[in-house]
Amino acid sequence: MRVSLNVNGDTVQTYVEPRDTLLSVLREQLHLTGTKWGCLTGDCGACTVILDGRSVVSCLQTVGQLDGASVTTVEGIAGRGQVMNDLQEAFVAHGAAQCGFCTPGMVVAAEQLLRDGVEPSEAAIREGLAGNLCRCTGYSKIIDAVLSVARSRDPR
Amino acid sequence: MSAYQRPASVAEAVAILRDTPGAIVLAGGTDLVIDRRLGRVDPDAPLVDVSAIDELAGVRWDGDVLHVGAATAISDIERDPGIISRAPALSEAARVLGSVQIRNMATLGGNLCNASPAADMTPPLLAHDAVVVVYGPDGVREQAVISLFTGPRGTSLAAGELVVGTRLRIPARSGSCYVRQTVRWAMDLAGVGAAAWVLAGGAGSDAPIEAARVALGAVAPTAVLVPGVDHLLVGHPLSAERLAAVREAASAACAPISDVRGTAEYRRHVAGVLAARALSIAHARATGVWPGGPAPVNGRISSAGVGQHRAHRGQRDTTDASARPGTLA
Repeated sequence: MRVSLNVNGDTVQTYVEPRDTLLSVLREQLHLTGTKWGCLTGDCGACTVILDGRSVVSCLQTVGQLDGASVTTVEGIAGRGQVMNDLQEAFVAHGAAQCGFCTPGMVVAAEQLLRDGVEPSEAAIREGLAGNLCRCTGYSKIIDAVLSVARSRDPR
Repeated sequence: MSAYQRPASVAEAVAILRDTPGAIVLAGGTDLVIDRRLGRVDPDAPLVDVSAIDELAGVRWDGDVLHVGAATAISDIERDPGIISRAPALSEAARVLGSVQIRNMATLGGNLCNASPAADMTPPLLAHDAVVVVYGPDGVREQAVISLFTGPRGTSLAAGELVVGTRLRIPARSGSCYVRQTVRWAMDLAGVGAAAWVLAGGAGSDAPIEAARVALGAVAPTAVLVPGVDHLLVGHPLSAERLAAVREAASAACAPISDVRGTAEYRRHVAGVLAARALSIAHARATGVWPGGPAPVNGRISSAGVGQHRAHRGQRDTTDASARPGTLA
């Protein structure tokens, strides 16, 4: 079937097998390989994208449901003409990556948490990112990075 | 017959299901996509995608009756202000299911019809005495949620039938609660889940109980309603002795397996502890003495000291939880 998607601000029309996953369409048809192919069971969060204002795991999202939907991947987190946004810069500044495989999913999930106005506390951010696994960092630097942006965007 | 169809109405969906033997309903996909890939269901079975049916999604109140559409996302149940204040067992179960991402995709109907004995949404619906509304080739019918389940992954739905939603009555002076035990803090299935519902005869902690139900998940081939709770509680205030009796009745209602989430013996014990805790919080809510806010997440007290549970969360702090009603440990 043909679906029309808005991906990172661009309208994309593509033919898909409706039961295929958004992850496979993003990576194999649209060559947006920032979204990672991880566990394929929805547990690791490495394939997280923002779908119509909500974070989802693209490995479990069938693409036949998405005609007319808007998708933001890690490639679209920063604005046009920007290399990185404040969250991505905070990941760099805090050294919040080691092998880097979980980082795109972490950034996307954290960005949506921030857009949803997550309370700037460690507990709220840990709960919000519970669906994103990192096997290197021990999470502390990731939480610190997100917390710094939560505070700077919302200095309550 | 096409391998993938996306009807826009319940009537159309039911017609397609009737005419398509072996068709599987696709909603959020969080179980089905994995099951298809791993061959747990026939990957060539036709799919009927119900995500475009507007009438299937959403939360609606009709006086003191709550309707939750089958395609309502778990995250919408988690955040619904009416559910949080009037049917808190449902929002508490929604809050601990999967992750943010999974809750944004998974649906109430999917969680029910997948029929896992550990499904978090089931015990709250049993405790609230909810009914499921089912459309099929012969029209609409209703049945108690408890009679939907025939065993692990088994439902009593006939071929061609579609669950369109659930309905619960939430009377004044009622309260509910869901607590669970997990090995990990998040992204884990319930080792034990317990929900309670209480209708109080008045305000204050000495108010007698007019009706009560306790339901358990992950301790038997299907979720169970603990028998005899009404008999133990109705007409009495909630005393320590009566809580202890419910705790014993809950443990006795279990027929658990031993697996990575706990031994049968451990589950039986924890089921009693969590049943008593959920009951006393539900009672505190029904009688207006609950201080507000959700129940402690993930059976915080019962699993403290069971070891290695710190992944992805901070150190356990049981201070708050210990001060709450229902803490027996």
